[in-house]
Amino acid sequence: MKNTFYFIKESIRIFRYNKLSNLFSFFGTALILFLLALVVGVWSISSQLAGMLKEEAEISAYFNKDVENAEDLLHIIEQIDGVRYVRLVNEEEARSRMEKILGDESDILDLFEENPFEAYFEVKIHLDKMDPVFTQISGLKGIDYVRENRDVLEQIERISKALEVLGYLVIAAVSITTLVIISHMIRQGIYQNHEQIKTLMLLGAPDNFINFPYVLLGFLLTFGGGIVATVFINILIHQGYSMLTGTIPFIPVPPKSQLVYGLSTFLLSVSAALGILGSLFGVSTSKKKK
Amino acid sequence: MIQAKNVSLRYIDGTVALREINLNVKPGEFVYIVGPSGSGKTSLLKLLMGIEFPSAGSLYVMDQPVLKKETRKIRKLRQNIGPVFQEFRLIQGRTALENVLMGMRFLDIPKRQMIINAKNALVKVGLEHKASVMVEKLSFGEAQRVAIARAVARKPALILADEPTGNLDYDNAINIMNLLYNFRDKNTTVLVTTHATHLIDNYQDASLIRVEKGKIHVERRGAKV
Ligand SMILES: Nc1ncnc2c1ncn2[C@@H]1O[C@H](COP(=O)(O)OP(=O)(O)O)[C@@H](O)[C@H]1O
Ligand SMILES: [Mg+2]
Repeated sequence: MKNTFYFIKESIRIFRYNKLSNLFSFFGTALILFLLALVVGVWSISSQLAGMLKEEAEISAYFNKDVENAEDLLHIIEQIDGVRYVRLVNEEEARSRMEKILGDESDILDLFEENPFEAYFEVKIHLDKMDPVFTQISGLKGIDYVRENRDVLEQIERISKALEVLGYLVIAAVSITTLVIISHMIRQGIYQNHEQIKTLMLLGAPDNFINFPYVLLGFLLTFGGGIVATVFINILIHQGYSMLTGTIPFIPVPPKSQLVYGLSTFLLSVSAALGILGSLFGVSTSKKKK
Repeated sequence: MIQAKNVSLRYIDGTVALREINLNVKPGEFVYIVGPSGSGKTSLLKLLMGIEFPSAGSLYVMDQPVLKKETRKIRKLRQNIGPVFQEFRLIQGRTALENVLMGMRFLDIPKRQMIINAKNALVKVGLEHKASVMVEKLSFGEAQRVAIARAVARKPALILADEPTGNLDYDNAINIMNLLYNFRDKNTTVLVTTHATHLIDNYQDASLIRVEKGKIHVERRGAKV
């Protein structure tokens, strides 16, 4: 295109006309987008976590010593609607699991002469079927008592729901703020250059030609902010992961590359879209008072 | 090129700038428009460029009716006109060359041709040595000539120059007028407003139109090339 260089030069000129406030909106946008990425990142981690933990919904069913054939009982439980699978955890396995959890502290188990753990059924279920499954298993003959981990799961689910709502709110707030900032910058630029714009109109220049440098500037400011935010969020993720893996190994966070890729794509496309929308909005709302 | 029938122009504040004027300009004419200040010369040019619109009568420029609602046609019309504004309307902070280029960037002219046209126009107005000077650094007369270069570089069918000799001494005024006169050819019509009536006699084949209190009198019908 014959005017590529001209458009870029014009955009830079409009930028310089208002250097300070353009710089502020650039860094402001970068900061806002960075915060957005933070919230969305936490949200996505927590919802993945909640999703993973949902599959951990389980009931531990302890049976009494009179049960002769645990296999039969296992088959009965398997038939219950909402049960995903059942496994018999025998005494030795129960003990070795606890040893794993205790880690270095597992020596205290040696204090027991006999294995203190009982065998039980580990019943993986669908979380939403927790109640009926629970009552049905409790009612089975030979089952002594039943334990479930619903409280923890529901707690996590509530948190992740709340984070989701927060995420949407933040997305809305960021979008509105960015649109307002960018469209305002564009309107200001157009206002300051209205004499030049009028001349171009008198010479017969089409609107697209006149507006393009402004739209380009709005896009570059926002997208540039998006790039800065992406760089910082990448640094943060990198730092965060190296700290996490050192201290709390058992939290099932999504793989780093997935988070980096997801958030970067998200930030770049959101900033590009907001940049274009914001400047188009600015251009279309300032045209009326030429 | 221009057909005006009983055209009147009344501004929104009620001022009637032109009253039932009739005008017929042929392609290739050089038209000299004289008249005292406030008589309606600029208003006439504004009508021809689609900046203002007739409040009565019918106006055709390049065989197109000049109508307010036809935004796209007005834009096309303006693209075919080379305007030299009374207040120049050069774009500040740009070089003389860039100002001339700006008149062509959105036209259907290839980049190479655009640059050639611009440089040629600057040569014709005698400013090739000022091509890369910022327009605000130019003298009044030089700025005037850049405005003319911008108008002619686009190879318009109609050149409209509003008081291009205003504020110029005799020598400069005659130079500018000669310049415009020489841009006239069989494809290019030139209309010049001025109150420098003493220059008229230099252009015997020019048409002469006198504007007085919004009325038009065709005093002399010039030849076209
Ligand atoms: N935008 C406008 N609104 C109202 N009246 C105007 C406007 N422009 C010009 N006029 C009036 O129209 C008349 C003709 O003005 P103009 O065409 O500028 O004259 P000239 O160019 O011959 O000096 C004058 O009385 C002037 O005051
Ligand atoms: Mg005038």
